[in-house]
Amino acid sequence: MTEQIDKALAREYEAGFVSDVESETFEPGLDENVIRRISEMKGEPEWMLEWRLSAFREWLEMEEPEWALVDYPKIDFQSISYYSAPKSMKDKPKSLDEVDPELLRTYEKLGIPLIEQQMLAGIAVDAVFDSVSVVTTFREKLEEAGVIFCPISEALHKYPDLVKKYIGSVVPKKDNYYAALNCAVFTDGSFVYIPKGTRCPMELSTYFRINEQNTGQFERTLIIADEGSHVSYLEGCTAPQRDENQLHAAVVELVAMDNAEIKYSTVQNWYPGDENGKGGIYNFVTKRGICHTNAKISWTQVETGSSVTWKYPSCILKGDNSVGEFYSVALTRGRQQADTGTKMIHIGKNTKSTIISKGISAGRSNNSYRGLVRMNPGAEGARNFTQCDSLLIGDQCGAHTFPYVESRNPSAIIEHEATTSKVSDEQMFLCRQRGLDPEKAVSMIVNGFCKEVFKELPMEFAVEAGKLLEISLEGSVG
Amino acid sequence: MSEWLESAITRAQGINDWLTPKRAHALDLLANTKWPTRKTEAWRYTPLRPVERTQAKVMSDKFNLLPVAITDLSAIEVVFANGQFDQAQLAQTLPEGLSIALGGDLNSAQQADALNAFSTIKPERHIFGLINDALAQDVVVVSVAEGVEIAQPVRISTLLSQGSESHTRVQVVLGAGSKLTVIEDVQAQGDSLNTAFVEYDIAAKAHLEHYRFALQTGSNVAIGGSHFNLHDHAKMHSTIIGFGSELSRLDTDIIHAGEFADAKLNAMYLLDGKELFDLHATVEHAMPNGKTEENVRCIVADRARAIFNGRIHIHRDAQKTLAELNNRNLLLSDKAEINTKPELEIYADDVKCAHGATVAQIDKQALYYLQTRGVSRSKAQVMLNFGFINELIDLMPNAALAEWVRPIIRERFAQMEVK
Repeated sequence: MTEQIDKALAREYEAGFVSDVESETFEPGLDENVIRRISEMKGEPEWMLEWRLSAFREWLEMEEPEWALVDYPKIDFQSISYYSAPKSMKDKPKSLDEVDPELLRTYEKLGIPLIEQQMLAGIAVDAVFDSVSVVTTFREKLEEAGVIFCPISEALHKYPDLVKKYIGSVVPKKDNYYAALNCAVFTDGSFVYIPKGTRCPMELSTYFRINEQNTGQFERTLIIADEGSHVSYLEGCTAPQRDENQLHAAVVELVAMDNAEIKYSTVQNWYPGDENGKGGIYNFVTKRGICHTNAKISWTQVETGSSVTWKYPSCILKGDNSVGEFYSVALTRGRQQADTGTKMIHIGKNTKSTIISKGISAGRSNNSYRGLVRMNPGAEGARNFTQCDSLLIGDQCGAHTFPYVESRNPSAIIEHEATTSKVSDEQMFLCRQRGLDPEKAVSMIVNGFCKEVFKELPMEFAVEAGKLLEISLEGSVG
Repeated sequence: MSEWLESAITRAQGINDWLTPKRAHALDLLANTKWPTRKTEAWRYTPLRPVERTQAKVMSDKFNLLPVAITDLSAIEVVFANGQFDQAQLAQTLPEGLSIALGGDLNSAQQADALNAFSTIKPERHIFGLINDALAQDVVVVSVAEGVEIAQPVRISTLLSQGSESHTRVQVVLGAGSKLTVIEDVQAQGDSLNTAFVEYDIAAKAHLEHYRFALQTGSNVAIGGSHFNLHDHAKMHSTIIGFGSELSRLDTDIIHAGEFADAKLNAMYLLDGKELFDLHATVEHAMPNGKTEENVRCIVADRARAIFNGRIHIHRDAQKTLAELNNRNLLLSDKAEINTKPELEIYADDVKCAHGATVAQIDKQALYYLQTRGVSRSKAQVMLNFGFINELIDLMPNAALAEWVRPIIRERFAQMEVK
């Protein structure tokens, strides 16, 4: 069995290729001048630069968080390059025809064709390559509906008031160490605004790709769903296979105004490092949404990549009757470490939250759920249900649960359940008796274990997630 | 570092007795330990201001403090009055196979054993455990010989008079196949501060029945720990009842150091007024085939604050472990607060582990039902609260103790103001 696990773990990371794109990359290092240069490159307004610099000054005073159950060597922030962009992007191609074909090929290879005719109808994509957004598709069609979907650097020029009003409103500058760093050095990301009463006519999607060596990717996503609107947003990510660790510190802010709904789905497949834990992405991400009255935010994540994950997509349920959901599948193998979960802060009356977390650990990995459910004194009649299940495959891995439950309202009801188990011999026996080979059997059992989460994913993503899990688990049982 | 800790360290440096090597070690560790703040995970919800501001002083007088009588119990009394072991309260003749003595009075071989065993079960991470190591005034060693079953319970009472400070320590050693019941009980008058730690070493096939009562209320600081080491096929059954005070903190550690050990822990706490009670229960499954079952129930009224941290840690070798933690909380007032964190840390795959936690208020339908039967609302509330806790009282193996504690709890509920 061990042999087979080893074999499975030695499998190739399919998105691990490097694209041969000429890039303009900053020298490694971080100081105020680097931030000024980033801001200048983007032609940002003065207030944005000031905002970045104040975040940077705060960051210098902050300490790296150590409470997560992850272990990695200290990051040398001076050895990272904070800006890298394909040279061909310098003149800002006006249409898809002008985009460097090598870039288009990269996305095609990843299964994300950017030529609109080739795409699955109904998904608009913003493709972010290292520090810049390469292409945003279907913009005209979206504009017809009044939906703004563009790189955040562009939004700063075209819609400065909207950006100024909402940026940092959900995740404050000094929220945490990595969020502060992101505020100082973020380079690009997506901006979405859905006008009042509008149902976004198609799924929106951002695909993040790290290509350059020794760079960090610091992107920022801001989604505003105005009153009564609805949007479904997908996010995917990959990186080349390298021996060095690379840092990815993103911030995502969601604002759901009264009666609005935002569905945010992620399939995270950053390079996880090799079987000995060499290389891979450090994925230190802050994601948070605020719900106003009757609004709903739903986070769904499938986490299979990254060597270290530190990620807690959260909901602030500020408005009465607002709803927060978190559905997560986190799979770790090799030497991967994941510390992920959510925070549900109930402020308004009759707010509801549901947390379903499925952790699967294999190889020598460690997988932790860390969550907070807080009922504030005003959260009259609030309700939470949490279920955290862990599945262990092999006897060298770890599965952990750290749920914080804080209640200050007697009428609020909180339920938390957690179980840990392995793929049982009985389950395997039953499947094998019916002619399934062991790998198929485990894959089926694991898929069943994750079903509650997969059914929350948009169809295209559910298929991709299912495949990812299958590849990851290949041969991990004997 | 707080002024209080500095003065405690200075006092400890002046003590010179048989425990000095261990005290010196604790002082070394303390020198490198940060005084807990809100950012210290283990003290996240429990501010230490009451300790920092305490006026309590170590007293040399025992003031004739006596433990409260428990009907039909007939226990062997181990009494600490203001931190000092009261030899006069201990029975002249002990049952055969049981020995109880002050560490200082042991012969040199026994003392060497006691010194070796001292502070090996209590983990070093407890800052007040280290303070207790350094400051413990009297250390009592209780031991049961191999294969002996002691029918009479041993009751360890920590008594404090007004404004008194005490640091007490007991080591309990159960020989292979032996059986013992131990009751730990703190009774403190106002404005006092105490740390009371007990370490239990439960040898193969031995069986410990354990109770810890923290029924003091009011302006006390009571910090303590009960730490258990279970060898092959050892068994323990523990019941903890707490009422909270200005600051009550209890750490329990159950260590499965042998295979096929079996641990049960039932804890309940009932808080009122501005009381705070903080229970940190840790279970370490270091060896295979262990079994743990924990039930923690809590009722919080008025402005009280309850904190529970239940950690189950299954080590790599602890295959075939069964561990379960059930935590249920009732919040009775909109000024009260419950913070609970059931943790699982699992490194073995062939285990069955689960935890569940709920926070809610009294079932409105049950309340309504009782009212329709002519029971007043306040009486109905007392009945339902009592029922919630009584389920665990019913599981207490010692009938005399259960009978003694039931009316005390009922009285407590009657006093709790339900808003």
